[in-house]
Amino acid sequence: MRDFPRIIIGLTVACVLSAFIMGTAFVFTIKAKKHNEYMEFKEAMYGVLGYGHKNPAPKSLQFHELYRYIMHEPKKDYMGYMIPTKDGKYCFVALSFDGSFLYKKNLNISEEEAREDSVRQKALLKVLDPSVKFFYANKIIVAVNNGKRVAYLLPRAFPGFKTTIKVLLALNPDYRIKGLEILEEEEDPGLGGEIKRKYFKNQFKGLTYDRVVKLKVIKKPLPEEYRRCLEQEEEFTKEQIEKIREKYQDSHIYALTGATISSTCVTNGVKNIVKKFAYRIKVLDKVLKEQHIQAAI
Amino acid sequence: MPGKPKSNFELVLNGLFNENPIFRLALSMCPAVGISTTLMNGFLLGLAVLFVQVASSCTISLIKNYIHPKIRIPTYTLVIATWVTVIDLVLSAYFPTAYKAMGIFIRLIVTFSIILMRLEVFAAKNPLIPSFWDGFGMGLGFMFGMMTLGFIRELLGAGALFGHQVLPAKPLLFFILPVAGFFCVGFMMAVFNYVEYLFKKAKEKRAEG
Repeated sequence: MRDFPRIIIGLTVACVLSAFIMGTAFVFTIKAKKHNEYMEFKEAMYGVLGYGHKNPAPKSLQFHELYRYIMHEPKKDYMGYMIPTKDGKYCFVALSFDGSFLYKKNLNISEEEAREDSVRQKALLKVLDPSVKFFYANKIIVAVNNGKRVAYLLPRAFPGFKTTIKVLLALNPDYRIKGLEILEEEEDPGLGGEIKRKYFKNQFKGLTYDRVVKLKVIKKPLPEEYRRCLEQEEEFTKEQIEKIREKYQDSHIYALTGATISSTCVTNGVKNIVKKFAYRIKVLDKVLKEQHIQAAI
Repeated sequence: MPGKPKSNFELVLNGLFNENPIFRLALSMCPAVGISTTLMNGFLLGLAVLFVQVASSCTISLIKNYIHPKIRIPTYTLVIATWVTVIDLVLSAYFPTAYKAMGIFIRLIVTFSIILMRLEVFAAKNPLIPSFWDGFGMGLGFMFGMMTLGFIRELLGAGALFGHQVLPAKPLLFFILPVAGFFCVGFMMAVFNYVEYLFKKAKEKRAEG
């Protein structure tokens, strides 16, 4: 009994000291870690656009990030976009759900700074009315080359069979799918986990908007020729790939053996992303044009 | 520790050969079998363990007088966990590719019996400098064991070293599997025992002659 105070004090001091050491290490490493994560993500972005070691991306290719927010006011809800402008700063554009323009505010943050959640939050709090509540929804990355839009990159998440699946979807300006990358998943290894294999995810490549919206999963074996084309794209010329796609690609995705639910989840997820995005970007573009906003995208 | 105190050099040698954690004490077998599939993995985990072992040995030998004997094991675990977290953060920040390959095993260093055993047996009873050398020797011994296993398994399983193909083919693919890890450990134990046997014999001969 006599030892109790000593034990309690000893353990507390030990815990505080170790927390101090761990905290110091965290503070010193967090910046490098964030940078790593961003570089990894950038690599995934280049990968999904079809650039790699063999054909490096052109130097003029730039990425601009748009952030979408859901806004709550006491009486109404609406959407807000943080849009990069030509002078390297951001502006905040609020739209109602039916697509009409509400208001515009200028934010004094650079694109580099805006990648940090807390910086965006602070900048928004400064310009918005205090009664407005806002929640970050997702972001749209626009790849721009020489002033022309090359692709839209959409980092999104949707429910899978077990947990959330995080994907990066690349779309052409005409909403044709340019590539799909699975960033994070925890499906069953060997069954649902196969969604990150080329023969599944590449089935989405090249699907046009009309096909994507009608997409469904079929339980049929994947034809051998199609599979080879999906797995080893490098061995085929562009014309051959086009031809094989023409032959097999319709409004369907071949389900993975023993993982129909995972396949359906991904297919529906992609379908939803494309549908919503195509609508939203059309609305946004219209507003940007009407209001003469000098957007960098 | 009975007998006269060992010199620093002897302490390091002790960790490397006489009491090699993997081949003589057969401690921390789980990572030894699980991670040592390639030379690089073995080296990195070895390095991480070396750091954690040295850091915790030094810490414990510095604060040993303040630790209440009834809570010494929780305190040791806390110290180990602290240093493991530090190296985990550092690796994830500055060596992302290696960190990805090691994954959960870095965090599992907390449970490595070899580190706790060295703290209990040595660092809690000895001053700073011998504790440092003992931790260094033990960490080096672990690294040596992991690298030996990694060398054998990568060479035989994948025909490569440090990821570079050195053999034209993959001789025995099954060496990559965990089962082969046990075979390798057993084989290395036999080698260690045989060498010890030879030493003993030579010593006896010298004593006689």
